[in-house]
Amino acid sequence: MMEDINNLMMGLGIALQGYNIMIAVIGLVLGIIVGVLPGLGGANGVAILIPVVVTMTPVTGVILLSSIYWGALYGGSITSILFNIPGEPWSVATTFDGYPMAKKGKAGLALVLSFLSHGVGGALGVILLTFFAPVIAEFALKFGPAEIFSVMLLTFSAFVGLSGKSPLKNVIAILFGFILAAVGMDIISGQLRMTYGTVVLMGGFNFVVAVIGLFGLGEIFLTVEEGLKVEGIVARVGLKDIREGMKEIIRYPKALIIGALVGCWMGLKPGGATPASFMAYGFIKQSSANKDEFGKGAPAGIIAPEAAAHGAGTSATLPMITLGIPGSPTMAVIMGGLMIFGLQPGPMLFKEHADFVWGLIASCWVGNFIGFFLVMAFAPVFASVLKVRFAILMPIIVYVCAIGAYAVSNRMIDVYYMMGFGVLGYLFKKLDYPIAPMVLALVLGDMAEQAMRQALIMGQGSPLIFFRPPIALPIMVAALIIFFWPVIAPWKAKLFAKKGEKSD
Amino acid sequence: MRKADLVVSLSFMALGIIVVFDSVQLGFQWGGNGPESGFFPFYLGVGLIISALLVLRNVRAAYKKGGWGGRLMPEGALKSILWVVVPATAMVVLTEFVGLHVAAALYLGFYMRAVGKIGWVTTVMVSILVPVSLYFTFDKFFLIPLPQGLWGAMLIPF
Repeated sequence: MMEDINNLMMGLGIALQGYNIMIAVIGLVLGIIVGVLPGLGGANGVAILIPVVVTMTPVTGVILLSSIYWGALYGGSITSILFNIPGEPWSVATTFDGYPMAKKGKAGLALVLSFLSHGVGGALGVILLTFFAPVIAEFALKFGPAEIFSVMLLTFSAFVGLSGKSPLKNVIAILFGFILAAVGMDIISGQLRMTYGTVVLMGGFNFVVAVIGLFGLGEIFLTVEEGLKVEGIVARVGLKDIREGMKEIIRYPKALIIGALVGCWMGLKPGGATPASFMAYGFIKQSSANKDEFGKGAPAGIIAPEAAAHGAGTSATLPMITLGIPGSPTMAVIMGGLMIFGLQPGPMLFKEHADFVWGLIASCWVGNFIGFFLVMAFAPVFASVLKVRFAILMPIIVYVCAIGAYAVSNRMIDVYYMMGFGVLGYLFKKLDYPIAPMVLALVLGDMAEQAMRQALIMGQGSPLIFFRPPIALPIMVAALIIFFWPVIAPWKAKLFAKKGEKSD
Repeated sequence: MRKADLVVSLSFMALGIIVVFDSVQLGFQWGGNGPESGFFPFYLGVGLIISALLVLRNVRAAYKKGGWGGRLMPEGALKSILWVVVPATAMVVLTEFVGLHVAAALYLGFYMRAVGKIGWVTTVMVSILVPVSLYFTFDKFFLIPLPQGLWGAMLIPF
């Protein structure tokens, strides 16, 4: 504990350098803008800036990338509350009560409530990160290839079993991501795979390009299809709103705490902020005494999902830096950024690059703190970004996306891939194929394959190595149960229903 | 809607078959030093084929129940999406010749004026100022060279 605090102080020393604070503020402002704009999300904002980050030192670079994420977490709510359009997927749940409250003329209060909840959710996530990350990393040092593979399997099982969407389509998305990752050079034997003799395919598919296409262009196509009409509520956040918000939020401790806890829990597993916010909203609505209030501007209906979204966003950092498994698509892109620096996220990072890790953790504190005051003070200014006509914004977004896709590895072909991924992203969304697990599979593909093959070599071909006690076995069993949960759950329900009939 | 579902799952199946073929060629069994290169992709391909088959079965069941179902996109949406996709693709192709920034300037101007019906002044201002500022940010400040195309170097002399 003391050691952690000492380390945190050291990290703060790095994060609080003038230059790094400036970078954090720039990142936050960009992040909030990206968050406010529907169709441009955190994952995309981070992906576009990865080429820029390469020119910086690793700590400064990761501060920029993560600040964009914190900013985007805050920014999405502004659009939800004032325009009834979710600026980010994780702020969909905020539109349910945030917009009605704003419509009643209490837009300022709704914004303050949202930001305060974000602050609390974020703080809980960062506390979790500070004190648990070292413990988990220490534990993860014992992991061999079999354990690493089992943790990854658990990650992907969580998508299949718990996402609530079609499990089959989840499986397909994951397999597709892995296949894209396998194209190009085989990292173990050096053989070329699935290149069909073309030089173009030898380089494989870069996931940053995929993210820009899938999340950026895909979203734009959807927005165009829906015919975006932006009609907002004019809001100002005054001191009165802040005072009232503080008073109000204390009256709903349950929503705040449940929201933050649900968020942190969901952030640890992959899936991230979006399901967390929905879950927290549903939870608090179910357990509320007056359910009728919800949907009409209930404060609890803003507090819970917002605290959850930010809690999930920050706690998603934990599995990323301790295990090398990102808890959300945006984290996956940030992790990709680290890998470009040659930093392999995982337990060894704590040993080998302690200054970097603690700089990152400290910047979570600093970034969330500064971000809170930025949105509090300038929410209306950021909202005015949406006054720019979509016909102006849209081509600029496409242009910036093209820059990002090209600059990742200076290949023109990546820009074409980006267009392709854009169309794919649109089709995926329309047909209910999930995008997040596919991106994660693309990011983790090489690592997963390497872990699997190394484990098999260790086990001399026997797959039983994945079930070796003490660590791999329980993880693997959990992974299998979660994977088959969509099959088990109805079967279990049937079983219990039959028992019920007999006892009648 | 279900037609699109059908087409997409069939394409996934085709992809799975391609992957399996490729892995078999590479060798997907236990080689001299552990699993061969095609080992992992082979099972991915097999999994993809099986999952796609199951999706097809679901589509068939749904088709028997309710026909082809609703449209994939609302009326008129395809047109507005093509209005985004085609100019954007044109920009990418144009980049090969005149470089990204010049192509983007043309693209911005075209989209804002022809599709967005934005006033001339705004159109010209934005389509010049945005590429110029991005040029200086990326190419000059961060020293990230963006594609110049065949004639780009002549078009941007500074």
